[in-house]
Amino acid sequence: MKLAIDENRCKGCNLCTKVCPYKIFKEGKKLNRKGVPIPELDRPERCANCRLRNLYGRQLCGVCQLTCPDQAIHWIDEEPYEPHKVAIEY
Amino acid sequence: MSFEDWYRQDRLPHIFCAGCGNGTVINCTLAAVEQMGWKQEETIFVSGIGCSSRASGYILADSLHTTHGRALAFATGVKMANKGLHVVVFTGDGDLAAIGGNHFIHACRRNIDLTVVCMNNQIYGMTGGQGSPTTPLGCLSSTTPYGCAEPPFDLCELAAAAGANYVSRWTSYHVKELEKAVKAGLETPGFSFIEALVQCPTAFGRRNKFKQVADHVEHLRSHSLLKAKRDRMIENGEQIPAGMFVVGELTRRNRPAMGVKP
Repeated sequence: MKLAIDENRCKGCNLCTKVCPYKIFKEGKKLNRKGVPIPELDRPERCANCRLRNLYGRQLCGVCQLTCPDQAIHWIDEEPYEPHKVAIEY
Repeated sequence: MSFEDWYRQDRLPHIFCAGCGNGTVINCTLAAVEQMGWKQEETIFVSGIGCSSRASGYILADSLHTTHGRALAFATGVKMANKGLHVVVFTGDGDLAAIGGNHFIHACRRNIDLTVVCMNNQIYGMTGGQGSPTTPLGCLSSTTPYGCAEPPFDLCELAAAAGANYVSRWTSYHVKELEKAVKAGLETPGFSFIEALVQCPTAFGRRNKFKQVADHVEHLRSHSLLKAKRDRMIENGEQIPAGMFVVGELTRRNRPAMGVKP
């Protein structure tokens, strides 16, 4: 699983930058089609739901998705054999 | 299947302002409805007029967008006509407490099997920020430019006094707790009332020193007082600081309910 932000729905309230326990969302500079700066992802492979969703078979954390008032955050499945980084936690 | 499947994807993005808490409350409610495993054909969302009441239009289920303040009256009719339907009412503070106050009290008294989610943004957001019955003391709005001088309504105490079976209050900061509270409300036979305090950056925040969305959410977080802590403070004879509001499950009881499918 990987995190995805729907650029068309995001209104740039930056609430996701406050709620994520890993601080994955950062205030971004890139503007979307409506001229709203959308947040950036900072090393999204650390996200607990991305790493462990398929292992546990249920939703983990998911606070960003629940909090996002514009339903812009969701998880998508990776393509088969898509290379992805592995997060190492200390 | 996740709660996203309950949204009408073609209607999104919705019209709420950037940072409005209503979207969060809809997410939490739909996540709870999703956990109940109800079919979309057997669930009805009813709403009145106001920002919060736009919610039913974005949900992929039967919905009623009714007249101002009369959401509960329409919901009562739906429930009486077909007891097999699950009825969820979205409403705002102006809708529920001001013009629909009478319907609210009597729906609580009759204890109809409804779940009411009240998104309380403490102001009339859609019409330009007029003071509502829940505007806190001293807060500025376009009709109270020198600070609100009237004491606000406590909707949860009102619902509990009028006889609702389940009453709880959370804020849009407490998403997981709100989701659990809505789920408990959906499971409870009889009237269940969940008040969700939400941030309103456009109408409330900009007049009351919460220009940034995060400031208002932080205010909601820091001024919420858990019910257990409140009870402990009263036991110890401590003074509850002004401006704090109680959050948590406030009432749960088992009065005879109306409209429960036998």
